[in-house]
Amino acid sequence: MTQLIQQLVDGLGRGSEYALIALGIAVIFGVMHLVNFAHGELITVSAYTSYWLFSAGLGWWAMAIGIVVSSVLTSLLIEFVAFRRVRGAADFTMLLTSFGVHFVSQALFVMYVSANVRNFNRPGWVTDVVTVGGVRFEVFDLVTLGVTAVTLAGTVWLLRRTTFGVSLRAAAEDFDAARLMGVRSDRVISGAFALAGLLAGVAAVFVLMRTGRASPTAGLTPMLKGVLAALIGGLGSLQGAVLGGFALGVVEVLLLARLPTAWVGLTNGIVFVLIALLFTFRPGGLLGDHRVERV
Amino acid sequence: MTKPRWVGSALGGVVLALVLIGGSQLYAAWGGMARDNLASQMLINAIVVVGIQVYIGNTGVLSFGHVGFGGVAGYAFAVAVIPPDRKATIIGNAPFGLADVHVGHLAGIVAAIVVALAVALLVGYALVRSGARAGAVSATVITLALLFLVHEVAVNWTDLTGGDRAGLSFPVGGALDSLWPIAAALVGAVVVARLFATSTTGRLAKAAREDDLAARAMGINPATAQFLALLVSVAIVAVGSSLRVWELGTITPRFFFFDYTLLTLTMLIVGGRNSVTGALAGVVVITAGNELTRYLAGPDVDIAGLGWLLRDGLSDIFLGGAMLGFMLVRANGLLDDWELDEALLRRWRTRRQPATDTSTSTSAAAVPVDPIVLRADEITVEFGGFQALERASVHAASTEVVGLIGPNGAGKTTLINVITGLVPATEGRVELGDHDLTGLPTHRVARAGVVRTFQNLRLFGALTVRENIEVAALAAGRHRPGAPRPSTDELLALAQLWDLRDRRARELDYGNARRLELARAAAAAPVFLLLDEPTSGMSDSESLAMIDQVRATAAAVGAGVVVIDHDLGFITGICDRITCLDQGAVIADGTPADIQADPHVRAAYLGA
Repeated sequence: MTQLIQQLVDGLGRGSEYALIALGIAVIFGVMHLVNFAHGELITVSAYTSYWLFSAGLGWWAMAIGIVVSSVLTSLLIEFVAFRRVRGAADFTMLLTSFGVHFVSQALFVMYVSANVRNFNRPGWVTDVVTVGGVRFEVFDLVTLGVTAVTLAGTVWLLRRTTFGVSLRAAAEDFDAARLMGVRSDRVISGAFALAGLLAGVAAVFVLMRTGRASPTAGLTPMLKGVLAALIGGLGSLQGAVLGGFALGVVEVLLLARLPTAWVGLTNGIVFVLIALLFTFRPGGLLGDHRVERV
Repeated sequence: MTKPRWVGSALGGVVLALVLIGGSQLYAAWGGMARDNLASQMLINAIVVVGIQVYIGNTGVLSFGHVGFGGVAGYAFAVAVIPPDRKATIIGNAPFGLADVHVGHLAGIVAAIVVALAVALLVGYALVRSGARAGAVSATVITLALLFLVHEVAVNWTDLTGGDRAGLSFPVGGALDSLWPIAAALVGAVVVARLFATSTTGRLAKAAREDDLAARAMGINPATAQFLALLVSVAIVAVGSSLRVWELGTITPRFFFFDYTLLTLTMLIVGGRNSVTGALAGVVVITAGNELTRYLAGPDVDIAGLGWLLRDGLSDIFLGGAMLGFMLVRANGLLDDWELDEALLRRWRTRRQPATDTSTSTSAAAVPVDPIVLRADEITVEFGGFQALERASVHAASTEVVGLIGPNGAGKTTLINVITGLVPATEGRVELGDHDLTGLPTHRVARAGVVRTFQNLRLFGALTVRENIEVAALAAGRHRPGAPRPSTDELLALAQLWDLRDRRARELDYGNARRLELARAAAAAPVFLLLDEPTSGMSDSESLAMIDQVRATAAAVGAGVVVIDHDLGFITGICDRITCLDQGAVIADGTPADIQADPHVRAAYLGA
């Protein structure tokens, strides 16, 4: 029982990262109908930012701020350079555009930054453990959960109470109608990318505190997990993305802890198969809408 | 047509493949060994890319999994073909007694095809269930899952695959060093790809690629077409991947992972994913570009001051940049859907417009076929708490034109959607003659003879005007005996689209597009045409002309008509009978004169 609680908290901590990334992907999907497979580049850029800040002798507070800022700026840059040009294009074009951004960015990092892994120190408390009532919690999981809760609450407030948030939700509901009602598309789309960058930045802080390394492929796995989480929840549903993130984290931790040793190497593969099965039998995801196309 | 279509495609395929093989051999003849290898690798890549094209090009579904299928095939080939004494040193503990298996290369390729197809059956089922269609994300993720899964299994199942360090390798001298198997496979692959593209299945798949919903409304089942496309495509990829393993003399998990996916997909995208010729052009362009970047990044080049820019890894930037650049600027690639054999054959084909006489039989009643009744009975539809239809009934005989009118939101389109199987009815039945259509999927309703058009035009945009009509005729269910069935040419002429027949549908102006949609529906052997606002967006004179157009078309195929429209001049001019809906319920039914005089109808329209 205590073991299960430990694993659940561990899974939720891991799921927090996925949830934040997935939420950003869902926000972008809402305004552009684009599944952003380039979202992981924000994490890669963040990773090198923290490496450089670390090399410059800065501490984790400054690094955290630097990570979030660089993630937001990168997100805006990618929108400006690539996605702005394929707005309203066929789904196929947008899908491959985001993959193209991912491949180009990765190759640029390999060539002009470093093909090798760069390491930096993780904060000292990352490995600390507290024991409450016989259950061991990792401090890092608790901090991640706490900050994620605050970030999500802030996002909910932003979406519910601000003009920007209302325009964004309106645009996600019906982009053309929102535009006719005076919502400015450039601003909403840039805003969505900035928000997604912010959420990915917060996630990146935790990812990097945990791993302490920068490499050209640092963003690949978080991106895949984020896309999967958004799809599990049901594309277009913001709550679904968050739920999908946590669900994915918990399932992964449980698989890692309970699979026979010979199978542990296949964890990702098994997760993929589970997800493929989910899409096979519930193409809309857990909370996805099953609206019929208007004719 | 005097000559069957497939002869041209097959010949075109042979010519294409031979041009590529000849060109690569000429190039290789200049240089030594290195170019020999480059040429054979390019030809092998061409086989794989053509295989991927069969799926992505015909269905529009973005697959990242084909290299995964390639990995499955590659391992199957290697395990089957590598001699047992060699296997004993790498995978002596192989399961299922595979360590002792030893077959020839041809049998090995067959085994690779069989194993890859077995995986494709599973993946194809998942893709169909996930509602795969052009640009669908869940389908792309399922294929991505396959790519990762194959890689992980290959890395971890070391008893079978040798793991990711050593991998499986052929004994020294066991690698392929002849061009013949590659050349033969390439010719075969290109011919099969061209034959598939021009086959009935391939053309139906392309229609569904252009518009899934319209395809189903014409009687096409996209799932079947996509499934077959996947199987053909995977078989070709399996052959190419086996040859790749044979030629390299070894296989490790990373041979069939992201790098190769990026390479093959970029080739396909750059050349033009919708055409086989384009896929081959992409292979050539990207191979050449890759060589150029490798040369620029190599030690032979030292352009002053640019050394920092040109270094290892340049080819990855080139590939990613080519993919991204084409998506941003020219998403359909260099050649889009241009095919060599089609371009050549078009020169030979000349045709005369068939004589059509639209003055006779301007009434559907003139057709000497027993009338069939379409009946939607007591239909109720609830969306959440909202009742869109409340026990609404409408019926029509295949000899009459029935109008469906009512204010906005009255439920007219919903009723058509229920009849055509797009929206499930909460209660009620739909019958055509003594055939129960209730709950049938859209394509089966269409095959039974109930064919619809859409309020917001849904043509197969990238197909030509003629192809739009041909595809509908291909998809048509068995025809009623005795009913007239005009040819594609006759329908083209009837719709006044003869001169525009080789234009793409998306280039048509509004009036022509509307008439094409009508002609396309007529080609699907309808017993009933269900027209959703055929005159919306038309001027008064255009909608009056549409009256004759609809009547002539319905008469030409002996179909009844149920038509929704807001243009009262059009509706009263064309209908034998009108049913009026308001707030989901039928409030009146009768001749146009009755309806115009009906107080309930006036109240509904004037809001009194």
